[in-house]
Amino acid sequence: MAESDDIPPGPGSPHADPLGDPFLRTRFALPARPATFLRRARLVHHLDQALRTPLTMVNGAAGAGKTLLVADWAAGLRHPVVWLSLDPSLGGPGMFWAHLLQALRTHGVPVADGVGTPADAGRVPHTLLTGLAAQLGTDGDELTVVLDEYDRIGTPEVAEQLEFVLHHAGPGLHVVLVTRTEPLLPLHRYRASGAITEIRNAELAFTPEETVALLRRHGLRLSVQAAAALVERTGGWAAGLRLCALAAQEHLDPEAYLKEFEAGHSAVADFLLAEVLKRQPSATQDLLLRVSVLERFCPDLANELTGRGDAEAILAGLHRENAFVEDLGHGWYRLHPLFREILRAHLRERSAELEPRLHLRAAHWLGRSGHLPEMLTHGAAAGEWDLTAGALVDDLAIGQLFTGLRTGHLVDLFSGMDPAAASPAADLVRVARDLSRGDLDHALARLGPVRERLAAAGPGGTAAGRLGCALLEALAARVTGSPQRAEDAVRTARELQHELPADLLDKHPELSALLLTHLGSARLWAGDLDEARAALTTVAATTGAATALPRADALELLALIDHLDGRPATAERKASAALAETDRYGLAEGAGTGLGRVVLAAVAVERDDLTEARDLLDGTPGPAVHDPVTAAGRSLATARLLLARGRARAALEAAEPVVPAAVRSPWQRVHTAQVASSAHLAEGRPDLATKVLEQLGGEHPVLAVAAARARLAAGDPDAALGLLDPAGTVVGAGPAVLVRATLLRAQAAHTAGDTATARRLVAQAVAEARHERLRRPFREAGPWIGPYLADAPAMGPGRGALPFPVEPLSGRERDVLLRLAQMMSTEDIAADLYVSVNTVKTHLKSVYRKLAVNRRNDAVRRARELDLL
Amino acid sequence: MRYEIRVEGHMSETLARLFPELDHVVMSGQTVLFGPIVDDAHLYGLLARCQSLGLRVVEMRQLPE
Repeated sequence: MAESDDIPPGPGSPHADPLGDPFLRTRFALPARPATFLRRARLVHHLDQALRTPLTMVNGAAGAGKTLLVADWAAGLRHPVVWLSLDPSLGGPGMFWAHLLQALRTHGVPVADGVGTPADAGRVPHTLLTGLAAQLGTDGDELTVVLDEYDRIGTPEVAEQLEFVLHHAGPGLHVVLVTRTEPLLPLHRYRASGAITEIRNAELAFTPEETVALLRRHGLRLSVQAAAALVERTGGWAAGLRLCALAAQEHLDPEAYLKEFEAGHSAVADFLLAEVLKRQPSATQDLLLRVSVLERFCPDLANELTGRGDAEAILAGLHRENAFVEDLGHGWYRLHPLFREILRAHLRERSAELEPRLHLRAAHWLGRSGHLPEMLTHGAAAGEWDLTAGALVDDLAIGQLFTGLRTGHLVDLFSGMDPAAASPAADLVRVARDLSRGDLDHALARLGPVRERLAAAGPGGTAAGRLGCALLEALAARVTGSPQRAEDAVRTARELQHELPADLLDKHPELSALLLTHLGSARLWAGDLDEARAALTTVAATTGAATALPRADALELLALIDHLDGRPATAERKASAALAETDRYGLAEGAGTGLGRVVLAAVAVERDDLTEARDLLDGTPGPAVHDPVTAAGRSLATARLLLARGRARAALEAAEPVVPAAVRSPWQRVHTAQVASSAHLAEGRPDLATKVLEQLGGEHPVLAVAAARARLAAGDPDAALGLLDPAGTVVGAGPAVLVRATLLRAQAAHTAGDTATARRLVAQAVAEARHERLRRPFREAGPWIGPYLADAPAMGPGRGALPFPVEPLSGRERDVLLRLAQMMSTEDIAADLYVSVNTVKTHLKSVYRKLAVNRRNDAVRRARELDLL
Repeated sequence: MRYEIRVEGHMSETLARLFPELDHVVMSGQTVLFGPIVDDAHLYGLLARCQSLGLRVVEMRQLPE
């Protein structure tokens, strides 16, 4: 057997264990072959074909000997072999690809950092797939990837993604699927093109000659005829034959025993396992039954479950005899999956009440040894919810209920929580669950009492609990629009952070990022824009997968601040950066608030791209976090779009605040009043337009401009200019506000007959607007502006549309356009450029916008007309 | 809906306990598991359970109500 069993040491490498999962290495280890393993040349030869096809499928019943066959073959390969044993916890695409990346790195296959990392268990960034495909099996490199127990992840998306990578990777990549069921891949296509090597159950079955050889390794001599009868009885099933050998070994007359077995009608594994089990010494039986509750175990953990100290010797012996136990290397073992199931049945039969107690003991051991995810699983299986929730909270992992690769798993795990669990930690988990579901009433009803209980417990030992509570307070403050509450929560959190070990805090960067994002959102709601910006900028500067969601969230809030300031170009940049983070880390759309798309829609309205704005608003999924900032931003963007489309009354309704919040938001009121005032003007009611603004009172550039507009419409240009003139009121406002102010002054000059001044001011507005590509203010100005625009420099004659010259395409947009002209599909373009489909769509959208078209054919035609191709 | 699933071999009582929702009867070298099936997910789950216990399913059919 080759030396390649040993995987290179994982820790020490920069990518060691990004998931904080100490069980990883046992997933990446080639299972060791027991001394009784029989290498079968015909199967090894057939498997050698795997090196000539991209895909290999070894497909057979449980216990057909698939894994050991492939492990034995793979151990003899001269090029790198990457081994990954799957289980249902890796079923989500994000988890699957994160583990495959880690497996590649553990086995020394270099993967560029640029490939990215999934940050959401259920999703994988498309760029990761294209990036992997571009690196694997290219330049003459040979690489075999074995996915063992592939049947345990039933996710169709993973199959599709695997198919994509296989299709686009170099010819040196060979994927071997070891599975009980056929994978959801288009196997017929692989078969038709001879691109698959298949070994199925019938081929895995032992022949009589092989059976003779196998039994000889167990010290039994059998004639070929006797073996043929055994093959008949067991269907040549490897697990059955192995159990036969183990059962017969103990008998005085093995051949007679086997004859008796052949004549019987028992279910093979069921009967034989019971036979083999009852012949083991009672200590061994006890150990086997107890460890059947565990997926993987080491001698120390097995000792914990038996309460004895003999596990190491027993496990080594069982592995040597090839009985039940597989060696995963590094001192870890597992039961053969088939035997584990049956052993659990025996455990339940012998003492049903023991099972939860074993889970509890395992949970304690795993917790002590720092294996939190496994600890949580066993704690939950034991029904010990206070313990389980306590472990989550004490590890400061409560933020992972909102963000990160484990979110889905944790939410599922705690969904079965017993209502009787009454510890503060259990209540914190409940509050987190309610908040993430948007069930504010329940969350708030629980949060107060749990905070008081934690405070009553006094200092010491509860710092982690109170920090978790502060995080939930901050989120509750955000969704209820209570800035003071958020400030208090974050101050409390800061104080608590001094009481906790630094290494524990470092493990959870998401905690601080979530706290500051919630704080920033609450400050933004209250109109404290500078302070909000300070908190959010800190989050935006974080890196890594753990903080990807709060980072995208913070960037979207920053984008809204820029939009409110009247700076569409910066707002657009930040919203796009937020969406890029979402894309890069494969976060679910709608995992956050969807505010980024709302801001992009608002920017599109300012640029008079109403179709784009409508698409963006329609396509925004319902928010996962219900906060008043997003709700208000969305109402305002919708109302402005309606106004732009001439539907003033609908706009008035849409702008009405439907946002319950603890404090009123100044900007929300200002902008709502501005929309209402514009709507009244559009319907010819300048008095009402003025009145809604006066009712609000206060000073704000947006209000000043809106009031000036209303006065001008009412036929009072002097009042209008008075509002704008000591330009003090609009100083510091962004271009979207300034351009409007300038246009109103131009209109006043025009009305007064001062065409020279009007012309100068319109030209100035055009110059100010060009950089931001603002069009809406010119549309709003009214018909008087037409002749001035025709005169303005760099503005040719146009038919209605504002004739800004075509904006130059970026290099990437040109790449996409060139491929579009070659009739490539969006998916093909994505694969060709190694970017995600969403990125291509984003480029396509900006190409359409720049060329002022809506369809790909038109884009190509227009590009040809303009000599862009 | 009700189903019966026939598997090869006589199942022990221990193993049959892993199908608590079904009745079983042993006859002519086979074990017949039968009883109410909630939905398709339940049905596929049962098949997977058979597979993970190394049981060979020889027949499966829906029973008349």
